[in-house]
Amino acid sequence: MGKAVSIENLTFRYKDQKNGNAIENINLDIDEGQFVVIMGPSGAGKSTLANCLNGLIPHFIRGEYSGQVLINGMNTKEYPVSKMAKEIGLVFQDFESQLFSTNTKLEIAFGPENFKVERAEIEKRIKEVLKTVQLEGFEDRQPPTLSGGQKQRLAIGSVLASKPKIICMDEPTTDLDPIGKMGIFTIAKELHQEGSLTLIIIEHETEEALYADRLIIMEEGHILRDGDPEEILTDVELMDRIGIMPLQIPKYFSKVSSLESHELPLTPEEGLEKFNSLKLEIDDKEYINIINEDLEREKNYGDVLIEVKGLEHTYPNGKTALKGVNLTIREGEFLAILGHNGSGKTTLVKHFNGLLLPTKGQVIVGGKDTKESSIFEIGKLVGYAFQNPDHQIFADTVYEEVAFSPKIRGYSETEIEERVREALKAVDMEGFEKEDPFSLTKGQRQRIAVASILSARPKVIILDEPTTGLDFKEQRQMMELIRQLNEKGHTIVMITHTMWVVSEYAHKVAVVNDGKVVLYGSTRDVFKKEEELLKTYLKTPHIVSFSNKLGKTLLSVDEMIRCTKGV
Amino acid sequence: MDMFLYIDKDTFLHRLDPRTKLAVMFGSFVIALLFESLPILLALAVIILLYGHSGKVLSNLKRIRVILFMIGLMSIVIWSITRGGETKLLGPITLEGIIYGITVGIKFNVMIISGMIFLSSTTIEGISLGLVKLKVPYRGAFAFSTAIRLVPMIVATSYTITQAQRSRGLDLDSGSFIQRIKKYVPLIIPTFVSVIRSTNVFSMALESKGFGYDKERTYYMELSFRSVDYVILIITLLLILVSIYAKITFKL
Repeated sequence: MGKAVSIENLTFRYKDQKNGNAIENINLDIDEGQFVVIMGPSGAGKSTLANCLNGLIPHFIRGEYSGQVLINGMNTKEYPVSKMAKEIGLVFQDFESQLFSTNTKLEIAFGPENFKVERAEIEKRIKEVLKTVQLEGFEDRQPPTLSGGQKQRLAIGSVLASKPKIICMDEPTTDLDPIGKMGIFTIAKELHQEGSLTLIIIEHETEEALYADRLIIMEEGHILRDGDPEEILTDVELMDRIGIMPLQIPKYFSKVSSLESHELPLTPEEGLEKFNSLKLEIDDKEYINIINEDLEREKNYGDVLIEVKGLEHTYPNGKTALKGVNLTIREGEFLAILGHNGSGKTTLVKHFNGLLLPTKGQVIVGGKDTKESSIFEIGKLVGYAFQNPDHQIFADTVYEEVAFSPKIRGYSETEIEERVREALKAVDMEGFEKEDPFSLTKGQRQRIAVASILSARPKVIILDEPTTGLDFKEQRQMMELIRQLNEKGHTIVMITHTMWVVSEYAHKVAVVNDGKVVLYGSTRDVFKKEEELLKTYLKTPHIVSFSNKLGKTLLSVDEMIRCTKGV
Repeated sequence: MDMFLYIDKDTFLHRLDPRTKLAVMFGSFVIALLFESLPILLALAVIILLYGHSGKVLSNLKRIRVILFMIGLMSIVIWSITRGGETKLLGPITLEGIIYGITVGIKFNVMIISGMIFLSSTTIEGISLGLVKLKVPYRGAFAFSTAIRLVPMIVATSYTITQAQRSRGLDLDSGSFIQRIKKYVPLIIPTFVSVIRSTNVFSMALESKGFGYDKERTYYMELSFRSVDYVILIITLLLILVSIYAKITFKL
């Protein structure tokens, strides 16, 4: 078999990079037809490597470049990106910006058109591609009207249509709901089985990496491990150390048994078998303790802060996004709002601080109907951190950014200083006051965005996808921060797709589907109903599925270990 | 927020060739610019509205109703005061001034509406392919259609950003003029940053899909210049010629 990718001594440093190289001395060969997954923490150089594969580096993104990349024998340095595109297709993380046509068919046709494919052939390819990416029947839809998962599948289809021999996807599932993620991986698997296509996927999701032939772990611009996915993924210690989310099942078994790492089960099904063969048991007493702790926590909630009654919302374009929602949020709660892309969850939370007003029904915040209040007033009680921190950061320094909210509310200079200090301390960003927020990493910018909400000292904090685009370590840090805020008395409302985050941190869950709340209750009760969740395109984390199979619902590896007898 | 101005419908107007629609648009510009007579401009406005109505795309005018209204109002206010004339009504305001203001307001609004109808009934690909068929180089045609696409994208981004900053307490509705301008800084900077970032990804995605692989390319979309296109084109040309003739002969 020939070599699809051959990289020799590749080193790259961005033009404005302060220290070190983005990637250093990479040597990598990928055979034709291989399915490779690349993982690693933020800043490991994964995207840099992907952009080197089709020549975006060095042609489009400038910097110091040495070494060489051969794609099917062609040196990327010698051909423009558009020529390389015929050999290798690249799918980006940001699917909004890579779709630009009026409808699905034209989006798919764009690539082949550039390569001068005949019209009849394009027609044929559109049909094939739509089938592969499961978008049949969506031919005439405008891309912005598709759901997130459909958009990303279309982005993949638009690359497939040019029939490149290699496809590289850069974190294609980051913004997707769990089923959207699975859809992408199912397609990847099918593409791989069909034939000689070489597939390179950069991913955060450990559970999905199991499908690959080969797993590459990167750290700080180097390749750290390269080999069989099962072997690497069961190396729980390595995963923990470099900050990749370890698979929950092997992690659990490595703690409760003395199995060698190659003997560890990987999936909930394998786990169940192992659990029985090892004669492990569930400790019923401990499980009751856990349930009682849940009840105790619930008793300690304070007054009702937000009350939603029969809420309906219809947008000016006539689309009804909410069809009668009832919710009560009490002080001290930690509520996660789940639902697939386009279910109406963002529309719902925008009612909590008065950004949107009900078409029908009522939203009462702190005893006041939002219709009779203003965002400015409600803002004192409810803070809202938007999904993308770059949609709100504007100041030259971190201090100015965080001081914005108290300043606008006319507090004294000393009061502002006090609040900024307190907010930066809460997000663990003290000492960054004079930094330019735009020079920080995504995780840090996310923290600054949260701090700039905290400085208004709101009782309720709404967070829209606070962990998107962060690696596992950063996600953990972010969630620990949010947990601390909750423990200090802030009420948390969080929209998210990341199921393990919900499972380990949220007290309560509301699942929104097609404008209605279809499941609502404590996290444990909701996660027990795996099948109903699946209907709304949500999938519980491995450890929860595993414990459900044992007849109990345990939300984290730690809880599972606590409830295991017979070790 | 809808990203596109284009309204996807299957109507007579949508089926017209983009070149025909382009000609109608330019025809309406020429006629609107030629005349200062209220009856003629009113007639033109009626024709253009009927034309847009045939494609059921006039609902898009709601999106720009404030702009249309402001142009009309400003024009009437400015001209009624400054135009002068025989029939004095109140202070510097004259009847002739008011009529002239209405005329100029209609003139500009007709052109905007005509442009809006074109963009609402023609796909971006249709526009660029139409331009290519008119011998505009593909890169130029693509750049033009991309610029059109960028406007609603910027609007959508700035809408999100406005919401984010209002959530933080930004109050855009109060304060003096200077104070209000200052308040737009937290909106403008993130908008620029976001637009630059996404256009950057956009251009990388373009090249990665083979844009510029060769000077030539094929087109999946087909344009067909049918007999109805010829009819509309001839009517448009005739109207333009009659207008020019009338302008010269009768000095309307």
